[in-house]
Amino acid sequence: MITKMSHTTLFVTDQDKAYDFYVNKLGFKVHTDVTMPQGECEGDEEEKAKQVMMRWLTLNAPDQPDLEIIIMSVNSFDGFDEEARKAIRVLLDRGIMGAGVFTTPNCRATYEELKAKGVEFKSEPREQFYGIEAVMLDGCGNWFSVTEPKMH
Amino acid sequence: MELTEHTAQRLVAAKLYMDTHFHEPISLEGISEQAFFSRFHFHRLFCRVYRKTPHQYLTRKRLNKAQELLQQNLSITEVCTEVGFESTASFSLLFKKETGLPPQSYRQQWMVKKQQAKVQPRTFIPSCFLQNYLERKTSGTE
Repeated sequence: MITKMSHTTLFVTDQDKAYDFYVNKLGFKVHTDVTMPQGECEGDEEEKAKQVMMRWLTLNAPDQPDLEIIIMSVNSFDGFDEEARKAIRVLLDRGIMGAGVFTTPNCRATYEELKAKGVEFKSEPREQFYGIEAVMLDGCGNWFSVTEPKMH
Repeated sequence: MELTEHTAQRLVAAKLYMDTHFHEPISLEGISEQAFFSRFHFHRLFCRVYRKTPHQYLTRKRLNKAQELLQQNLSITEVCTEVGFESTASFSLLFKKETGLPPQSYRQQWMVKKQQAKVQPRTFIPSCFLQNYLERKTSGTE
């Protein structure tokens, strides 16, 4: 029986930029930030030099400490071959990866706060049948719905 | 709850003020005056938008910052002062209530995690995310 999701992956074009966006602007908390050091790699010096070290960065949304969002660099994810890496990179570069929905108690206030912090939006708060929604860009290839759910 | 753009901007400005001046004494009177709200209206609006009283929000902000500072080389008293608490005793009590650990134990736990991240980074990463790396390692292709 599966009971809940504990980790989810978000591919980004730049982990440092994503850290600044999610931690400094959105206020997410760093759960884990470790890097596989060069010494952990096998192979001769030439092979090692070709490898990109993987940084394992996971974050929690402020009220969701049991879901780790893995901020994964498309450039260093070990599970991609070059063709797959290129394909995801194209989607991220075009900014068309719809990565999910964040909820907020008040969409207008969140929109105003994030705009004041320099966050870009695809659309400003609008009334939808499920609540009030704005669409935010993370600057690292993804867009998110920021939704204030309708009270039932 | 629908807010007008102007009301939201004033409320957000007050919240951002708290975010940057949390280490200073901040009164409900002062902050509501600055945002051009009555004290009562500001309190009610803040609670509705942020689901916390301004006081609860400020305390949470200070404790979050304290968690960050405890990861640095500062004494508990220094951390307490840096984040705007006047008494170390009440800081420690609140810190434990919010995080489940007294400040000293929180720091120790963080140091253990930091050391483990340094010497055994792989223990933090699910193996399926390192599958290619592990396969390369077992097959000795590197």
